[in-house]
Amino acid sequence: MEIAVLIKPVPEAETRLRARTDGTQLDAEGVKFVLAGYDESAIEQALLLREATPGSKVRALAFGPAPRTEEVLRAALALGVDEVTWVESPAEGADDPGVVARALAFALARVPHELLLGGKQAGDDEEGLVTAAIAESLGIADFGSVVNLRVDSASGSLTFQRATEEGVESWTAPLPCAIALQQAWNDPRTAKLPNILKSRKMPIAKIPWAEVSAALGEAARPRSVAERFELPPARTGAKMIEYKSPEEAAETIVRLLREEAKVFP
Amino acid sequence: MTPSILVVGERLSGHLTSATREAVGVALALAGPEGSVVGFLAGSSLDRSVTEFGELGVTRIRTREDPRLDAAGAGAIAVSVVASAEAVSASVIVTGGTEFGRDLTGRLAVRWSAAVANGVTEATWADAGGLRVLRPVYGGRATETRRLTGSRIAIAIRPHAFAEPTAGAAVAIAEPDAGPEIPDPLLAARRTEVAAAGVSAGPALSDASIVVSGGRGVRDANGFRLVEALADSLGAAVGASRAVTDAGWRPSSFQVGQTGKAVSPQLYIAVGISGAIQHIVGMVSSRVIVAVNNDSSAPIFRVADYGIVGDLFQIVPALTKEIRRVRGLPAG
Amino acid sequence: MPDFSLTPEQESLRDLARKFARTEMAPHAAECDKAGRFPEEIYRRGWELGLMNLNVPTEYGGSGLSVMDQCLIVEELAQGCGGMTTSIIANCLALEPIILGGTAEQRAQWLTPFCAEYHLASFCLTEPGGGSDAGALKTRARKEGDHYVLDGEKCFITNAPHASLYTVFATIDPQLGHKGITAFIVPRDTPGVAPGKDEDKMGHRASSTSTVHFEGVRVPVANRLGAEGEGFLMAMRTLDQTRTPIGALATGIGQAALDHAAKYALGRRSFGKPIAEHQAIQIKLANMVQSIRAARLLTWQAAVTIDRGERGSLESAIAKCYASDAAMHVADDAIQIFGGYGYMKEYPVEKLLRDAKLTQIYEGANEIQRIVISKELLRAYA
Ligand SMILES: Cc1cc2nc3c(=O)[nH]c(=O)nc-3n(C[C@H](O)[C@H](O)[C@H](O)COP(=O)(O)OP(=O)(O)OC[C@H]3O[C@@H](n4cnc5c(N)ncnc54)[C@H](O)[C@@H]3O)c2cc1C
Ligand SMILES: Cc1cc2nc3c(=O)[nH]c(=O)nc-3n(C[C@H](O)[C@H](O)[C@H](O)COP(=O)(O)OP(=O)(O)OC[C@H]3O[C@@H](n4cnc5c(N)ncnc54)[C@H](O)[C@@H]3O)c2cc1C
Repeated sequence: MEIAVLIKPVPEAETRLRARTDGTQLDAEGVKFVLAGYDESAIEQALLLREATPGSKVRALAFGPAPRTEEVLRAALALGVDEVTWVESPAEGADDPGVVARALAFALARVPHELLLGGKQAGDDEEGLVTAAIAESLGIADFGSVVNLRVDSASGSLTFQRATEEGVESWTAPLPCAIALQQAWNDPRTAKLPNILKSRKMPIAKIPWAEVSAALGEAARPRSVAERFELPPARTGAKMIEYKSPEEAAETIVRLLREEAKVFP
Repeated sequence: MTPSILVVGERLSGHLTSATREAVGVALALAGPEGSVVGFLAGSSLDRSVTEFGELGVTRIRTREDPRLDAAGAGAIAVSVVASAEAVSASVIVTGGTEFGRDLTGRLAVRWSAAVANGVTEATWADAGGLRVLRPVYGGRATETRRLTGSRIAIAIRPHAFAEPTAGAAVAIAEPDAGPEIPDPLLAARRTEVAAAGVSAGPALSDASIVVSGGRGVRDANGFRLVEALADSLGAAVGASRAVTDAGWRPSSFQVGQTGKAVSPQLYIAVGISGAIQHIVGMVSSRVIVAVNNDSSAPIFRVADYGIVGDLFQIVPALTKEIRRVRGLPAG
Repeated sequence: MPDFSLTPEQESLRDLARKFARTEMAPHAAECDKAGRFPEEIYRRGWELGLMNLNVPTEYGGSGLSVMDQCLIVEELAQGCGGMTTSIIANCLALEPIILGGTAEQRAQWLTPFCAEYHLASFCLTEPGGGSDAGALKTRARKEGDHYVLDGEKCFITNAPHASLYTVFATIDPQLGHKGITAFIVPRDTPGVAPGKDEDKMGHRASSTSTVHFEGVRVPVANRLGAEGEGFLMAMRTLDQTRTPIGALATGIGQAALDHAAKYALGRRSFGKPIAEHQAIQIKLANMVQSIRAARLLTWQAAVTIDRGERGSLESAIAKCYASDAAMHVADDAIQIFGGYGYMKEYPVEKLLRDAKLTQIYEGANEIQRIVISKELLRAYA
């Protein structure tokens, strides 16, 4: 089976977030970028499928700027991915999900992909829609929040489950197909030191942005603009709930959590 | 400007989901008195949901009667959604922030060449043109404002970030939409089974998105059950201060703090916890903190976002009841 | 040097070690410390990831890392747990004499198995009668035909109860002083080899340390490393290689102490403000950072000197001595910043002080390092 995995460099979890001086975006200066946790799960899944289906190949693709994108691709190689492709991003508009999806779909013309795997969302922008958008470009079906992905060797089709609002759904789907995986149900492996050293010497296929934009034309234009990136204000002490009865206190806090704090599921 | 906005309806056990209801609210607000909101439904036996759209004040519903779409992926449904959006000259498509909605928005980015965003918590028209949306990013540690440009915009809203509309009943008319044929590859997958989400043991403390913790204020092991009932109503993990674990009311694996677990959920509710520094360092990076304590000078209120001064034995049961009510759970 | 930036490869090695330290070592550090447990499953996992045998050349299946790269890894590991780090890097120490002094056949025979499978080895130099004065060791090696017969006792030997191989330093004739010292490869299962019971230590309690008894142990001549009498130089050159990573280990302990102290100082309040806003605490923190950074730079300098092919005795002595003293005072300051909590075992900083202490003692006590340093210094002025 030909498996293509989409990966993305994201800031390390413990990064202290800061806005750029113009206030529009995250200030990436000095930020360390790593493979997103969801993407690690996706790579793990791809490697497990390769082990279960002899003759399979796993290839990873990433869209983004140097050097962080190269670094996550090397991390993928160190984990055991066979080949990697770096799709260079433009200076502006690289965060537009449509641009990301189209650029990767363009690159996928050169990368065999019966099964396309992505993470559920990236952990930075949390858009979680690039896999679906690429699937649309390729004219194949896609499924999100997938767990327990298996290949039925007899029929060559996939079986998997999805945790949705309705409960746990079981599916079978023929290839080709795109899958966005739920994190943390598999235990992603850690790259071994000798493989890290080897990955430094392996080739990375690069597709320059100039080539992508020439091919995509108008479709490569971003359709959204980042305007502001804000951190929550420092805590200044609690807002105290005024109430006459416990019931009123309960209603007020639930309303504030939903409408003001927007945390309530 | 008279915008036309399409709301993609999702159903659960035959009824519109609360996510869709919230999406209707967003669409109505964006449309304003001049604009129009059109509903969209796909699948079989759509009548009841057509009526429900009407009850929310949406009177025009594009329907795609096709039993194959009852259990289809977003890719198959996107074909009809786009056809309907074109038919009503929609400039914005809104969906609930469910798995399906997020997936659909992704498909629309390409199929409809739309400007897209997921997890939206605020959406307003921008003077410069297009739609300005606000979304939490980095696990709620920051928010991003983006302007979605052009005449085709699709957003999935964040669940429960918006209130459901209360518009009075109106009669909704279904407009059957034959729509284009759906390509076979998009229908080839089959859903073989749906198992109701089982009652789980609750999420693990360290990566739960909601944590409810109790302290010495609960008085004894039995009193701690109030904390657990509240957690249960929220699908939250349960934590405790060291006073609780030291007293043996709960095992030490529950302990949050310097020498217990460090947690940073979206929501942390501290019940009967004074807020000793050893406890605070383990939970202060939570996004939103709520404290319930009968001592208004308890240090926990210094780090909390919301405080309720009162007797936890009264407040917590009322809170549990209210949460169960709004989440549509049977009274505990 | 003096460009202090790391290559992407070095960054990724460091990331691996950091991840292992955080996710696999640190969560068990307190428990192993308390119980004095030797967490073999963690060492096995470290081996699987290639974090053991860092110095073994790639042709034998090792990682063949430079001393600089080893230091980057060891500093990270030490932030997870100093004791575990000691046990993880003990193979480097034990196998270095084979790397330095072994013939091609000896290296292939004895190094390869360590990279093919998880095994531990121990470096047996110190004796009950003396450690610093290694030239005066008493363990005897008598030649009988094509064998040597070893008799004697070694003490404070890291990993000895769990090791399958020992590199042993013994004398063919005590009259010869250090010129009689000879190195041998001794498999654990050789009759007459008997490790003692695990010592109950102040720190590094996740590591295991014991005596090893040698009684009539027959070792084939083929297991001798180098010629008779070359053992002392081999031991010293081994320590020249491994001393620098001990500087990194100490730096890691100090860094961990600083991290804990700075976070604590921001949260703990007294007299109406976080203690980090009291100048006395700020000055302490500033001094701690300076010491750690200086320790790191001296360690890197020693590493780069050795990687250039120089012996680096002076540089490594300075690095190890300075970094271990720094770790000690930084851990001490960290406890002070924690106040009473720092003194409690429930908090992580008192362990750091106990762990830091060893770095002033082993692989050449700091007094000996200072003797080396001052000798070099005075030679330049004489
Ligand atoms: C070495 C060491 C390590 C420690 N590590 C931790 C740690 O990791 N985590 C931790 O949590 N603690 C830790 N502590 C303990 C910490 O210092 C506090 O003692 C502990 O957090 C107090 O727990 P508490 O808030 O539940 O109890 P208390 O401080 O006794 O607070 C109980 C609170 O409940 C309120 N209350 C009482 N009755 C009611 C009622 N009917 N309704 C509403 N409110 C009520 C009171 O007003 C009070 O504020 C540590 C201490 C030491 C010495
Ligand atoms: C946990 C642990 C693990 C160890 N692991 C190993 C191992 O794996 N293999 C191994 O071979 N050894 C190992 N050692 C031994 C260690 O290297 C020795 O303890 C160290 O070299 C000091 O030797 P000693 O203990 O005999 O002290 P001594 O040599 O007796 O020294 C006692 C004190 O006198 C000082 N001193 C000695 N000579 C002089 C001098 N000329 N001038 C000034 N001061 C002097 C010393 O610095 C020290 O302060 C380990 C020790 C420990 C505690």
